[in-house]
Amino acid sequence: MFKVRRRVVVTAAAVLVVLLAVGVAVTFTGGDSQASDRKYIDGSTSAWLYTAGHRPPAPDFTGTTLTGAPIKFSSYKGKVVVLNFWASWCPPCRAEAPTLAVLSEKYARDGVSFLGDDVNDTPTNGLSFTRSIGITYPSVNDPSYQVVQDFGNAVLINDTPTTLVIDRTGHIAGVVYGAVTYSELDTMIHDVVSQ
Amino acid sequence: MTDVHAPASVNPGAPPQTPPEGGGSATPDSPRRPSGVPQQKNLPLWRWAWRQITSMRTALVLLFLLALGAIPGSIIPQTGNDPAQVQQYFISHPALAPWLSRFGLFDVYGSPWFAAIYLLLFISLVGCVVPRTFRLVGQSRTPPPKAPRFLGRLPHSATYVSPLPPQEAVAAAASVLGGHHFRLRTNVSTGTTPSSPPGKKADAGDKTFWLSAEKGYLREAGNLLFHLSLLGILICVAVGGLFGYKADKLLVEGQSYADTPSALDDFYPGRLATGSDLAPFDITLNNFTATYITSGQNAGQPAAYNANVTYTATSGGAAKTDDLQVNHPLNVDGVKVYLIGHGFAPVFSVTDAQGKVVYDQATPFIPADTSTMLSDGVVKAPNAAPEQLGFMGVFVPTAVEGSGGTLNSAFPAAENPAVSLIGYSGNLGMDSGLPQSVYQMDTTAMTKVAAQPHLMFPGQTWKLPNGLGSITFVGYKQWVSLTATYDPGQGPALAFAALALLGILVSFVVRRRRVFVRAVAADGNRGSILTVGGLARTDASGGFEEEFARLAAELAGTEPTNQSETGA
Repeated sequence: MFKVRRRVVVTAAAVLVVLLAVGVAVTFTGGDSQASDRKYIDGSTSAWLYTAGHRPPAPDFTGTTLTGAPIKFSSYKGKVVVLNFWASWCPPCRAEAPTLAVLSEKYARDGVSFLGDDVNDTPTNGLSFTRSIGITYPSVNDPSYQVVQDFGNAVLINDTPTTLVIDRTGHIAGVVYGAVTYSELDTMIHDVVSQ
Repeated sequence: MTDVHAPASVNPGAPPQTPPEGGGSATPDSPRRPSGVPQQKNLPLWRWAWRQITSMRTALVLLFLLALGAIPGSIIPQTGNDPAQVQQYFISHPALAPWLSRFGLFDVYGSPWFAAIYLLLFISLVGCVVPRTFRLVGQSRTPPPKAPRFLGRLPHSATYVSPLPPQEAVAAAASVLGGHHFRLRTNVSTGTTPSSPPGKKADAGDKTFWLSAEKGYLREAGNLLFHLSLLGILICVAVGGLFGYKADKLLVEGQSYADTPSALDDFYPGRLATGSDLAPFDITLNNFTATYITSGQNAGQPAAYNANVTYTATSGGAAKTDDLQVNHPLNVDGVKVYLIGHGFAPVFSVTDAQGKVVYDQATPFIPADTSTMLSDGVVKAPNAAPEQLGFMGVFVPTAVEGSGGTLNSAFPAAENPAVSLIGYSGNLGMDSGLPQSVYQMDTTAMTKVAAQPHLMFPGQTWKLPNGLGSITFVGYKQWVSLTATYDPGQGPALAFAALALLGILVSFVVRRRRVFVRAVAADGNRGSILTVGGLARTDASGGFEEEFARLAAELAGTEPTNQSETGA
């Protein structure tokens, strides 16, 4: 009787070892199971549009702009919104800012609203940035990353800059991590506007 | 790990000529043979390997290797803790560093060899503990062995006379020992104690009545608890490493931050943790106070640090305040936030050539000398026009003139704060889009606006030459650096450590011991003569002698001094 039990024990232990090994293998290799819910832009893995039905809803927020005006995100409902998280001290933000300025004018006719979220900055620094680049759309004064945190519950926002394209139904349609390029953001906005 | 007394000696100390009658105790204490003894021939290789890996020796070697493997983690800089220092190590040890890197020594706890040791130890423990648990369950269901024939030869023995007939005397002894929570086996039907299986009663024909009592299963149980707790600790460490994280944030007085990846200066998630696992708290630094010893030998030594913060545990919750001190972290959303550093952030306002304010910010400077808090920093005004402006600065909390007219700090607290700035104009290199540190300035495309550094006190403005603009040293604020750590395995690991301690204590204190009683009818009258024998199977800590004496006395119903004696 003891022998039989022992064999069972050894078998059970062996099974456990195999399970453990499989678990470890899965843990260490990881798997990209989410790739089917998105369409990468220009072959870049840092910019994509979510396919319909996979778009996370954008959170609502209120705040003040760099000029001190109150702002409510809900007032943008029904519009395509390009939301750009940036800071005056961040070189990639400086590099992409002229692109954003140009695209904001190009798509103004199509009713696309551009909105900035200036993180970890002072209004003085932020305004001198937008003035020197020639950005005319408003930016939220977000020194403590509050808006970033709100949106971080919907999509992962790891760094500054990050740009989101939000569709007319208030869902996040696309994400660009890092500085945007003209062609990828142009493609994305065009895609969302024509839907 | 198998028990230390691996060879299957059943009754250590028992005379060899009195083998136990029962077959029950023939079950080896541990079925594991000493590794040197040849085992059955043709043992499959994997069985042999399994036996090796679950042996105590292997486990001890692995435990030792684990401890050994943790040493480089504390003497060689680790990417997980301090990537900058790893880089520095590569620069200062160009030949050695690539080799260390090849062996994963800059990321010891994530290296394959460390994982291998860890997993092997885990497997070794599981392979040892599981069979032992089954065995303990089996043993606790097996009755004690029959009483040996000659109890006087046992290490402890005593004799007493009872007025009761043998059968009743043994029954009485059984109820005494049963009262002491011994497990009993007897050839006497006592009614209150489980007797031996009915068929065995036949061999009561030896005309004596006997009783076997055994106690101390907690020893093995404690030992198992110890091993299981070790396993638990291993699992907790793994859970902490997989799901935990560490995050650093520098926060200036009056600033707040929401705990989200892009707000953090550094974020080190575990293998299965991501930025979305961060607890959604907000922390605002209201003010920071550093208290220093002002006189005597230790003048200038820090006496206390206090960071007064307001925090909101979950978004929209009620705001609370707390004082963070060294070794007094803030507990928020299961995350511990430690105060690990502090410094000064002089406030500057920069106006460009066109008269526009292009910079207005408290700028964190990094202490170069923590004993005087002389700190370095840069001010970058990339929006200044027509030329970008930049300043390299030194901040001193208590300004004194050093040797050769240099600016020095006499005391770490801000008693006479001053800054010394070197001004630059030109291209800061920020428009290329390449990330750069906010604490460093690339002056390759810039020229100095003045040959000499400019000394300033709070409220003073430096009008730059050639109409380039001006900079005002408005005042100063202080900053703290916070480290938030989340280790879901920490609490359970502590509990398991306590259980491990409890287990090992129990297994040290409790002895597995047996007491036997045999009764024969006394000559002539109705009484009987009883022999009591005692045997501790593991009497490393001593003490069974006294216990046996007490038990024997209780059985005899007299004082211990009278009749009980302990034989060798």
